[in-house]
This record gives sequence, structure tokens and C-alpha cells, in this order.
Amino acid sequence: MTQDKYPNIASISRRRALTLMAATGAAGLVIPGMLGRDKAFAAPPEKPTGQIVVAFSQEPTVFNPHLLHIEVDEGIHFAIFDPLFGVDQDGNFTPALAVEVPSVENGGISADGLNWKVKLRDGVKWHDGTPFTAEDVKFTLELLVDKDFRSWRRAGHDQVRDLTVVSPTEITWRMEAPYAPYASVLASTFIVPKHAFDGVADKNVAPFNNAPIGTGAFKWADRVAGDHIELAANADYFGDGPYVERVIVKYIPDLNVMFTQFKSGDVDVTGLQWITPDHYEEAKTLEGKEVSLVPGSTVESFTLNMERPQFKELAVRQALYYAIDKQSIIDALYYGINVPTESYVPQQSFYYNPDLPKHEFSLDKAKQLLDEAGWKPGADGIREKDGVRLSFTNSTTSGHHIREQAQQFIQQTFKDIGVEMTISNLPPAVMWGDYWMLSKFDTVVVGLDFLTGPDPDTSDYFASTSSSAKGGAGQNNWLYVSEEVDKLLKEGGSVFVPEERKKFYLKQQEVIRHDLPFLPLFQYVTVRGRKKGMTGFTPNVNNRIDTWNINTWYWAT
Amino acid sequence: MLRYLAGRLGQSCILLLLVSLIGYCVLLLAPGGPMSQFALTPGISKAELDRIAEQMGLNRPIIVQYADWLWHLLQGQWGTSFRDGRPVLTIIFEHLPATLLLMGTATAISISLGVWIGIRGAVRRYSLFDYAATVGAMIALSVPTFWFGLVAIYIFSLKLGWFPAGNMYTIGNGSPADYLWHLVLPAFVLAFVDVAIWSRYMRTATLDVINQDFVRTAHAKGLSRRRVLFKHVVGNALLPMITLAGMQLPVLLSGALVTETVFTWPGMGRLFLDSLGYSDYPVIMGLLMFSAVLVLIGSLLADLLSAFIDPRIRLA
Amino acid sequence: MSSAVSPTLAPPERWWRSRTVRRFCRHRLAMFGVAMIVLLTLACVFGPYLLPYDELFIDLRARFAPPLTGWHFFGTDPLGRDLAARLFNAGRISLLVGFFAMLMSTMIGTFIGVLAGYYGGKIGAVLMRITDAFLSFPSIFLLLALAAFIKPSPFTITAIIAVTSWMEVARIVSAEVRSLRERDFIQAARMLGLSNRWIMFRELLPNAIGPIIVAATLTVARAILLEAYVSFLGYGIQPPLPSWGNMLNGAQQYLGSAPWLAIVPGVAITLAVTSFNFIGDGLRDALDARSDLS
Repeated sequence: MTQDKYPNIASISRRRALTLMAATGAAGLVIPGMLGRDKAFAAPPEKPTGQIVVAFSQEPTVFNPHLLHIEVDEGIHFAIFDPLFGVDQDGNFTPALAVEVPSVENGGISADGLNWKVKLRDGVKWHDGTPFTAEDVKFTLELLVDKDFRSWRRAGHDQVRDLTVVSPTEITWRMEAPYAPYASVLASTFIVPKHAFDGVADKNVAPFNNAPIGTGAFKWADRVAGDHIELAANADYFGDGPYVERVIVKYIPDLNVMFTQFKSGDVDVTGLQWITPDHYEEAKTLEGKEVSLVPGSTVESFTLNMERPQFKELAVRQALYYAIDKQSIIDALYYGINVPTESYVPQQSFYYNPDLPKHEFSLDKAKQLLDEAGWKPGADGIREKDGVRLSFTNSTTSGHHIREQAQQFIQQTFKDIGVEMTISNLPPAVMWGDYWMLSKFDTVVVGLDFLTGPDPDTSDYFASTSSSAKGGAGQNNWLYVSEEVDKLLKEGGSVFVPEERKKFYLKQQEVIRHDLPFLPLFQYVTVRGRKKGMTGFTPNVNNRIDTWNINTWYWAT
Repeated sequence: MLRYLAGRLGQSCILLLLVSLIGYCVLLLAPGGPMSQFALTPGISKAELDRIAEQMGLNRPIIVQYADWLWHLLQGQWGTSFRDGRPVLTIIFEHLPATLLLMGTATAISISLGVWIGIRGAVRRYSLFDYAATVGAMIALSVPTFWFGLVAIYIFSLKLGWFPAGNMYTIGNGSPADYLWHLVLPAFVLAFVDVAIWSRYMRTATLDVINQDFVRTAHAKGLSRRRVLFKHVVGNALLPMITLAGMQLPVLLSGALVTETVFTWPGMGRLFLDSLGYSDYPVIMGLLMFSAVLVLIGSLLADLLSAFIDPRIRLA
Repeated sequence: MSSAVSPTLAPPERWWRSRTVRRFCRHRLAMFGVAMIVLLTLACVFGPYLLPYDELFIDLRARFAPPLTGWHFFGTDPLGRDLAARLFNAGRISLLVGFFAMLMSTMIGTFIGVLAGYYGGKIGAVLMRITDAFLSFPSIFLLLALAAFIKPSPFTITAIIAVTSWMEVARIVSAEVRSLRERDFIQAARMLGLSNRWIMFRELLPNAIGPIIVAATLTVARAILLEAYVSFLGYGIQPPLPSWGNMLNGAQQYLGSAPWLAIVPGVAITLAVTSFNFIGDGLRDALDARSDLS
């Protein structure tokens, strides 16, 4: 894998290593046999044949990839658009619209990381036949920071200065400051056509947004709102594929119905939200289907609001962690599918720290810790100290059944150690509003994706300056403050050799595991099913959606 | 007549205004909002979301937003969805056919069954059939539609495998037969409650007619029972049903919403729930207004029709 | 002074009471309903004390036990909690929500109805238009719109249901009051100079009580159903507090493997609602003087 391309990753010079920046996963864990095109299958067909029906349990509705959107929308973006370079399942950047991934070695990035030069592929055409040029790249990067545009991501792009179109196939810019994760950001930045916005006054409502034009393997064909989207093969695609004539993205809001239709063969690939864990056993035995467990990048955690008087003491947080019967939750409620974790980094990542102390479920230890810390049971059996009762609310989005069950289970074991947890679940629109963003919660059960693609930078979640409740910008909603982590994040962001960089992030995971601003529960593993013969489907924790490489999917004959 | 119409329309407009004001305030006073779904987007910050909310005009006073919305509505602009930026009315009309198909089929089933049960019950009053129909109707009115749907799925889809458990058509098929096959369960579930209502009203109406003089006269003239029934009784008994049909519209809409959820039917019910989930205010308001208009038109038409058919009813 | 006058002003119609009761008792379905409600209420009040399980006690080893497993009469849920214990405790919530929603909505409806009926004219028209406005929402739309944005608790759910179901009562009461308004005894009360408030609530209201009771009974049935709808869609009473509706909420997922999760609470809801509807029907027949003729 990566080792073949970069034989001596540890010994390469710092200058050269800059090229790799976030290109990680070199030694990342991968499950053998699950990645890449399985050689046992037949080669892809000469010309696109057949169709693939992919089901999602949410409806993609935002087709301009730069407008505020949610995960499922990217299911369409990946099929229609291309970034300058993407990121594969091993965390390597792979050129797409760029001829090569810019690096110091090939002159793409200056030694100080400030000046970038990207050479673009020649002869690429947009779906409407207009040639793709550097102007489109310039337009895209400018659109993302356009003040009047509802941009989904400005962080990173707002560092770009002096965007210059050197020639139709070359573009350069300067970074305001070295920003290590920018390569990862670019890898999820799809290039959109400038000409589609010519004469459009309000880019938020451009016709393009509902009839996207890309350079990707599939063209926009049709959408029946609330039901499905149809994509057609782009015969002129510059890259690998496409190998099927049509892709139907079907919206099936109920996972049981999705599974039923997968069983009946109406659905070829179960996408986002996948097969529910309780159906895994049944799914495995289905004729003509391939069902596999795929690690996701989402980590489930029991999040604490560090500013609440109950949680200021480390002993309390440790005691609560001891009192969570993680294994039973995973085994019973999630049918043993998810993997217990101690870190916020997915275990497949190059930066994952496998040596963190292991969680132990022990009510005795929990009680002992609380006793020692001076939290004594009051008249009602609930512990208190200095007038603070060990009582708090816990929230998650209502309607998430399994999570609600886990919540109730945790509530029971907490009660056993004299801790009162009241469940107060909220509708999503309320939950993820000010309640979450301004840290108005006591505790929350939430699944989060901490990393941006393959990059290990988590300043957004852990830097003390990232709490909105304190006027910061970011998602440090647990109001975690640690000088050490702040320092590590800063240093880690300015070092470019992955092996060197890794040290900082291993240490950071250690500190956070010790401080427990959230109690890590498990890393999600999803049950994904596809019809036998569907080839090319490759899990990738570095991208948010199943269809990241849909251009290479085909039916083995 | 014209005066009556004008009055009714005026009243309806005031009604709609009230409906919209209540709806709008409820939506916007609530915590959360359309930005919250993006809270977990990597690299986003509250400040950034706030800025976008401001651009979209979401931080203006509610009354100003309402006035703005109303002003546009009066000009025929229903606004655009926060989700995909398309006009609200377009989106509603895309989801309407599925709901109409379901509601139409259910109504056809419930009227034909309900009328038959009602007449039979009235003609054979106090028979076992009548009694069973009465009790059955009461129970049908008491069963939660969604639960009935679940039970139907369990029996006819999971156990017997006769009908699909959800969706409107098989992907890539979509022939009329396929639609019909998917339609059977949800339509019958939705019709279930309505059959009860129709049969009750029909029974009462038939009884009223049977006891009237002209029916007795017809009998006395020696006309056959069947002839009297169909020629004199049914026609007259059906009259009040027209009003009922108009009044049933809100019930039917509510029922359709729940049934659509259980059977993952891609209609307005799904649109409404999805829009609620994403706090897509323009679409939610659009749906509220749309259904309110529908209901008002329904009741107005029902009144007009019954006046048109039966000259004894005077519109005043 | 007025208290001395009013009894003589009341219409001499007290006699219907006993006949009404007799008629009601002859109504077999209504009696069945009463028996069922008494039984359900007793079960919900005392049932939890008789069962060996706590409704919140989680035992993951015993999850998905089918009905009649050991002492689990109705089986267990996905967390191994006893379904019977949950059902009875849920019944407390659901019946209470139903009852209090009825109380609130009847009060709102009666108040608005009496005002609208008594004053008529502009006030009456405005009030009735507001009533119509609420009626012309499909109630589930309004209910969901409200519930989606208000933090759900038994109290808020009760309030929301009440706010969306007072209109029938208001209509019935206003029609009743309008017809009573011109009757002699009210005219007499007016001439005696009794205050409007007194006339409305001491003279008119007692005479409209029959239809109000019928409507109230049917409202309980409706409220229980509405709670079930809202909770089923996930916007109602939140776990771990069980209600009949939210017990059904997660049940769809397990329809294939554990159908009793859906069947048991569904039957409970149906029984309760049917019973209230039977009672309402019986009351209506009993209060309707014409029904004696047939």
C-alpha cells in the first residue's frame, strides 16, 4: 500500500515530507481483503452496463457541494463532481482534476508551506461540454469565502490569498499562515463550474443548485423529490469508470423498509444508516448478498459539560466512566458490532493511540472513588458534596431508539452508585441548536466525527479557544480547557513529517483520556450490504459517504 | 348567492390569516431552528451559522418575518425551501399526487363500503349485521391508525407475504399493477376509520329517509322494495353525505400523514415530517396553508353542492 | 340576593336525571365501556404493586422474552423490562394525560363556547372564527408542529392536546347556549338585573351540561389517541417514562422478531378508547329525550 509508494517514510527529509502532510494511514490499520477492487472478480465491462440502486435513509437535497449541507448530500456530490485530489481508503491523496498532488518535491508547495501551485488536467470537460480551466478552481475557492454565500466550510479557505490563474491549466495562491490540514480540506472541496454562475445575482439560489454540472463520472439526470435521484454515466469522464449506465439514489426513510427492499433485491447497495445491528445475523445468511462490517469514523461518547459543578472533579468523571457497562451496551443493544474505544480517533487512523488505559466496568471502584472524594449519599441516596447534588440531565435526539435504550441502561447503573441521571431528550432541531452549540446541556450522548478526512488536527473540538459559549469559534462544546492540549495542538499543526507529527497527537489522546471531558463509549461499525457481483465498493473512513468511489463500481459478469 | 359566496370567502380569508399567524408564531418562537442540523458539520462554528442565519433574515423580529412572508404570499410567492432552494409550491405539488392517490383510493373504498354497510344496517335495523356494524364502527374509530397499519404489515406483509411493507412502487418497475399492489395495504388501513364514519352517517340518513312520507307512499303504490330503496331512499340519503365528504377532509389528511409514515409513502405526510425535522419553515408554512385552503374549499364546495342539489337548503 | 332567586329561575327539568341514568344503564355497550374503564384503571393503579417487576428495571439477559415467559405475562422489551409492568405504568400516564387534556380542553371550549353563544354578534363571530381556524388545521399537523418544538413532558403534551382539541366543545356549547339564551328563564334573569357572568355560568352552563359531558367523554378518547399518535412519531412523552404511545414508538423496528411489543400496548389503547367512545355513545343516547320514543 502506501509503503510501496514511499519506501522510507520515516527517513524522508522534512522538505519532502511536507508533500505528505496529512497523507497518513501509512501504517493505518486496514481490514485485509475488504479494501480495493477484489481481484477475484471479473474486470470491469468495456462500456457502462446496467444500473445500481443505492438507498439512503435521508434525502439528499443540497446539490451545490459548497452550500451548507449534511452527510447524505455528499453521496451525490462524489458522483457528479471531482476535487483537485481526493483521498483513498489508506489516507493517500490521489490526483483528480490536478495532474499531480502538489508537494514540495514537485514544486507544488513552497518549503515554508505558504505558496501553492497546482497544475491542472488538460482536456477535461464539464458535463455541458464547456472546457474546465483554472478559472473554475479560482471561482470555487472564492465562492467558499464569499460573504454572501451560505458556505459550508470557510475554515482553511479563508487563509488563501492572491489566487492567480497563471494559465488555463495552472493556478497559484499564497497561504496567510501555514495550515497543515489544508490538503485534507482541499480533498473534500469539489470544483464547480464558473460559467454556471455567470449572471447569477444570488448564488445561494442559482439554477445550478438544482441541476448540478460537474466533471464527475456521473451526470445529473433527474430528481423526483422525496423519492429518488437518477444519475447517468458520463461517457467523457477523464478518470476510472464509470462502469454502469445509471445510478439511482433512492430515499427510504425507514431502515426496516430499506432492509426489506435489500432482501427483495430492489436495492443493490444499502447506503447511509445502513442495515440496523439487529438485522446483522439475518443479513449474513441472505442468498446472493454480501454483507460486511465496516468501521465508521464516528465515535460515540457520553459528553460532559465541564463547567457544571458536578463534573469539575476528575474523580467524578472517572467514577461515572467506571459505572458505564460499555460491553453490555455494545453486546446487547448493538449486537456486539461496535468496537469499544478509549480515543476520539478512529482506530483505522495512522494517528490512533492503541496504548490508552482500558476502560473497566466496576461499580465498586466507582463508589470508592466517589467516597474518597467526599461525595456522600444524602437522605434520598443521591450523593452530594458541598451542597452540590450528583444529579444531572442527559440528552440526545429523540427518536434514536437504540441510543435511548443505552441511555436508560446507563441511568440504571448510575443509580446504583448514587448518581441521579434524568433523561431529557429533545427534538433534533432543538438539540443541535443553542442547547448544544452554547453548551446549555449537562450531559449528552452523541456520535461525532472528530477528524477532517485523514488529518489529525482537532483544534476545533479541543482547543480552549473553540467554545462558542465563551465567544470562541468551534465545537468545543464540552468547554474543555487544557493548557497542555492547547500546546500540543499548536505544535502538532506546525510540524509536517507525519511520523514526527504523530507524537503530539498520541500524547493528546493520552491527556484527553486522562481528563475525560467526555466518556468514550465505542467506535461505530456499520453493517453494509450489497448484491453479489457489485464490485468496487470500498469502505473509506476518510470520506463521509459510501459513494466516494462510485465511479469504479460495476457489475461483475 | 353571490353575497353569500363573498361573505364565505371573506370569512375564509380571515380564517387563513389567523391560521397562518398562529402557525408562524408557533414555528418561530420555538428553540432550535434551521441552522441546528448543520451543528455537527466539521469545521463549522456557531458564529458562522449565526452569520448565515442573519443573511437569511432569520434573526429579525417574528412579526417582521411574518409580515414579510405574508406580503410575499399575497403576491403569490410561497417562498423557497431552506433545503433545496426550490419554490415551496413546486415541492408541494410534487408530493401531492402520491397523497391524492392514497387518499382517493381510500375514500373510494370507504364510501362504497360505508354506504353499503350503512344502508344494509338501516334496512335490517337491529339485525345481527346492524349490531355488528355498529360495534365494529365504534371499534374502528378507536383503533390508532398507525397501530392498525403496523398490525396489517405484520400479518399481510411479514407473515403472509402478500403485500409489500412499504413504498409506492418497486424501483425500476412502476407499472399500474405494481402501484396497485403497493397501494392495497395503506389504502385499506386509511379507509378503515372512514368506513366507520360513513357507515354510521349513512345508516342514520337512510333511517331518516325511510320514515318519510314519500317512501311510505312509494311502498303503498306497490313498488318493489328494491326499487324503492334505490330510487327513493339511497339518493335522498346520500345528500347529507356530500357535506360529510367536505368535513372529512382534515381527518383524511391527518390520517394520510400517519399512514404515509408507517408505509413510507412518498407523499405530503413524509414531506411534512421531513420539513419539521429540518425546520424548513417555508415548506411547513406552505403545507399548513395548503391544507387549510384545501379544507376550506372542501367545506365550501360541500355546502354549495348540497344547496345546489337540494333546493330546500337555502344558503344564508 | 341572587342565590335566593336562582333556584326558582332554573327550568323545572331536574326530573330527567333519573330517567337518563336508567337509560344509560340499559345501554349495554356503555356499561361494557364503564366496566372496561374501571378494570383498566384498577389495573393501572394497583397492577404495578402486584407484579414482581419494576417497570424501569433493566435486565439485559431477559430481553425479548415472549409473553408468558415465567412471570412476564406480556413478555419483555428490548431492555429486558417487564412489559406488563410498563403497560400498567404507561396506562397511568396515558389515562392521566387523556383525563387532564379533557379537563383542560373542556374548560377552554366551554368558556369560549359560552362567551360566543351568549354575546353573539361581533364577539361571538370572532370567537367562532378562531374556533374555525383551529378546526381547519388537520389537528395532527398543528399537534406535531407544536410538539416538535416544545420540550416534551406529560404536562406539555397534555397542554398541547388540550389546545388542539377544545373546538368541538366550544361549538357544541355555543350552539346550546344560543338556543337557551332566548328562553324565558334567562330573560327573567336578565330582567332581575343579574350580572352577565352569573347568567352565563350559573344559569346557562348547568343547562348545557349534558352535551358537554358527552363531548368530554369523547374528548378523553380522542386525547388518548392523540397522545399515542404524537408519542408514536417520537414527539410525545419521552422514555424512560412509559406511555402507551411511546411503547409503540420503538415497536415497529421489532415487528418481525417481537410482535408483542406492538400488539400489547396497541390493544390497551384500543380498549381504552373504544370504552370511552361506548360510554360517550351511551351518554348521548341517554341524554337524548327522543331516544325514548323509538
